[in-house]
Amino acid sequence: MAKRIFTLLGQTFTAQAVTANLTNATYGAIKGGSATQLTDILEVSVNGMATASTVAAMCLARASTIEAGAVTALASPNSDGAMHPASAALAAPPVTFVAAATNGPQASAVTTDPKLQFSLNLFGGIERWNASPTQQMSMLGNTAALFGELILFNSSTGGGSSGLCNAHMIYEPY
Amino acid sequence: MTLFRSKDAHSGELMLDHRASPGIPAAKAEAMGLDPSLVREGKVAHLRTLGCCHCGGVWIENPLRTRPRNHCIKCDRYLCDACAAVTKEPGYTHRSFQELADMIRSGKFELTGGDLRRPVLTRSVKDG
Repeated sequence: MAKRIFTLLGQTFTAQAVTANLTNATYGAIKGGSATQLTDILEVSVNGMATASTVAAMCLARASTIEAGAVTALASPNSDGAMHPASAALAAPPVTFVAAATNGPQASAVTTDPKLQFSLNLFGGIERWNASPTQQMSMLGNTAALFGELILFNSSTGGGSSGLCNAHMIYEPY
Repeated sequence: MTLFRSKDAHSGELMLDHRASPGIPAAKAEAMGLDPSLVREGKVAHLRTLGCCHCGGVWIENPLRTRPRNHCIKCDRYLCDACAAVTKEPGYTHRSFQELADMIRSGKFELTGGDLRRPVLTRSVKDG
């Protein structure tokens, strides 16, 4: 369809445990726009902005429990938009968010669910993951059972410490 | 003529750049499963990632792995360990992530139980 970029600017990724309800404005999540939507994650980049040495265990993980309550619409400076100016508006665009009304989503602790780990020092460290064609991280639908939500968060379970960074995810919904 | 494609052509890349950063302390890097020499101050790490054609997941390749890497001969792609274990279960039905996505997106099937590795699919009532 059309590639889009979900950008998070100047956000403190507080280190939190897997299966914890993630606190608002400490994570970035993408959820399918419909029960049958297929979405591929093509690139994830994290640029550290901390002013002192801070090792973060950034993870791209599937949600085992999706958020409770309505998703809060993205607010500036965060953004989500099509990469090509001529992209047609999607009937059901994926939902990108950093906050929800009641509870944040929970990252999966299931040992057979893959998590991409982007550990880096947020004091000047840069991370970038690019998927090869056909090897992208995929999500289907908008429920946890179908792996329909992915979360970029800082894992205290993985030994991370809280820190400030900028991040983006390039994704393509179908 | 048969065209043989290298599965290496399908690997992604994870770059960890600590050229302008103190990097990750050795003990912490080891605890995180990373080679300390690749993520210390002044280093740039380029790690290979592989995708699973059955669950749509991605993982960082362990270059020190000695066990055979799992491979689906029907898809001619790598499989994650969890999906490979499921393929050995009795009554397993082969479905790639793309095939499963196509079935669900067609509207003719619904996932009524299990997950993407062991999906319980039910034909939609509206499909008759």
